Amino acid sequence: MDRFVDLAVSAVLLAGLYATMAYGLGLIYGVLRVVNLAHGGVIMAGAYLGWILHGWAGLDPYLSIPLVVGATFLLGMAMYRVLVRHLPRGPAGGPASLLLLFGVWLVLRNVAYLLFTGNDQVIRTSYSTHALPLLGSFVSVNRLAVLAIAVVTPALLHLVLRRTYLGRAIRAVAQNADSCTLVGIDVERIYTLTFGIGTALAGLAGLLSATIFSFNPGFGSGELLKSFVVVVLGGLGSVFGTGVAALILAIVEVFAILVMPSYLTAAVGFVMLVLVLVLRPGGLFGQRVLG
Amino acid sequence: MRRWAADVPFWSAVPFVIVVAALAALPLSLRISPYERNLVTVAFLMISGALAWNWMGGYLGQVSFGHAAMFGLGGFVAARLMLHENPAPAPIAWLLGGIAAGVFSLGAHPMLRLRGPYFSIATIGVGEASRLLFTYWEEFTGGASGVSLPIDIGMKARLYWWALGLAALVVTASFVIRRSTLGLQLLAIKADVDAAADVGVNATFYQDLVMVLSGAVVGITGGLWASFFSFIEPADMFGFDRSIGFVLMSVIGGVGTVLGPVLGAVVFVLLRQFLLASYPQLYLGLYGILLILIILFEPLGLTGLGLRLARAVRRRRRAPGVVAAP
Repeated sequence: MDRFVDLAVSAVLLAGLYATMAYGLGLIYGVLRVVNLAHGGVIMAGAYLGWILHGWAGLDPYLSIPLVVGATFLLGMAMYRVLVRHLPRGPAGGPASLLLLFGVWLVLRNVAYLLFTGNDQVIRTSYSTHALPLLGSFVSVNRLAVLAIAVVTPALLHLVLRRTYLGRAIRAVAQNADSCTLVGIDVERIYTLTFGIGTALAGLAGLLSATIFSFNPGFGSGELLKSFVVVVLGGLGSVFGTGVAALILAIVEVFAILVMPSYLTAAVGFVMLVLVLVLRPGGLFGQRVLG
Repeated sequence: MRRWAADVPFWSAVPFVIVVAALAALPLSLRISPYERNLVTVAFLMISGALAWNWMGGYLGQVSFGHAAMFGLGGFVAARLMLHENPAPAPIAWLLGGIAAGVFSLGAHPMLRLRGPYFSIATIGVGEASRLLFTYWEEFTGGASGVSLPIDIGMKARLYWWALGLAALVVTASFVIRRSTLGLQLLAIKADVDAAADVGVNATFYQDLVMVLSGAVVGITGGLWASFFSFIEPADMFGFDRSIGFVLMSVIGGVGTVLGPVLGAVVFVLLRQFLLASYPQLYLGLYGILLILIILFEPLGLTGLGLRLARAVRRRRRAPGVVAAP
């Protein structure tokens, strides 16, 4: 029973991270219909940004959140303005956008190799090894903080999408971009901002992962695939669905340890990805327009 | 897609046969070093793999990021058959490896109704899941330490012709598919599955067929690869980089054409050799930049670039006449 509680707690903690990774991917796909394969690269970039700020400027990873989010936001907007904007829209652009953004990922990885070599890095803070007693087991303080941020972020995202003019414009563009031009919404600007926000969320996820896991320039591919699982499972554009899907993935992965060697638990996510795509392409909760 | 490949006339078979014959005579007539011969052999293998990938990614428009699964499966089945106590002759082992990979590809049947990015993402999942499962299955793949085949220098030399034969066969098959009604039906499916089904194209069957053929050829390529290197490990054979390699070769050369993947594979092998030797730190990024440039400026890759040049030359040649006419 103890072990059950332990596993459940760690599944919840993991789910927070998975959800944070997936929001950005889901947002960009929901609005632009572009699968951001560079997502993994930005997660890696976020991790390194946090590492630089911590190592060189002595900035606590949680205090560097605004900087990392800002930097990856700008990176995302630049990626849209310089590259993604020129792709053909609609189904014809599907494979093209995949390949283009995969190219961006390769470049990001290469830049990271050149700057930081292939060595594994980690952000180690004074509280990295602290733990609190909770439900009869011990829980890392750091992981709790990550979970808290993972809960606050979608709440903020939800508020922005529901309550602000920008959010309404984003949802309107997701529904019908052509009609938006008729009512005076600058669609290109919305696309740019959406891509920026989605990328910034990936940067945030990278920074948070960097406080828990070690990383190298290849970091992010597993995270990208897990984000796919969560987005596909949760249905595109549903903030609530994304959270639930992240929890499902985390629970399945964590409890898989009971029945299979730990080495294979990563495969569970991939198998789930394929099964969900084939069986429930609309996600478990159906398709919904952002919010 | 442009009609270029379908416009290639039948007489082009003559230069093709001459080129293949010249390549076959190359190691006999000229004194090329084993290093060069090996490089050309690898290029032949990559040509076969890239063209087979192109049947899916180019003709059918289903971009697969998981072809390493078939490459690895074909390689390991062939290797196991050759390591058996009564070892199978290499060609039989390769063929059976290809059949195993083809049968495995049939498992993609439910995925083939996914289109565009959904299919691509699903193939990433299948590819990565296969990598983990086969690495875990140590009795079959040797786990992380891989499988070694007895080293046979004569075999390595003979593989030049086997690989050339395979590549020539696959090039021919690519032309035949492209020119046949099958090729037209594949193009119709690529353009619009539903519309193709409305005019009587059995989209489900043809997608399965091409997937199996593509998987089988990639599997055979994997078998030859295993014999050629005498050592294979699942992390490499099933690796994501290998899947990406097939994609890159076709995209660099020109997706959906016949000549494209051939050119792409040659460039890929040479570039890889050169970069790994001289600038290993720029290896990934250069491919990334190439991908970005090709997608943005010339979706048909090197083939498109060649066509553009040819058009420019023709225009220039015609231009004086146009000016002279009153």
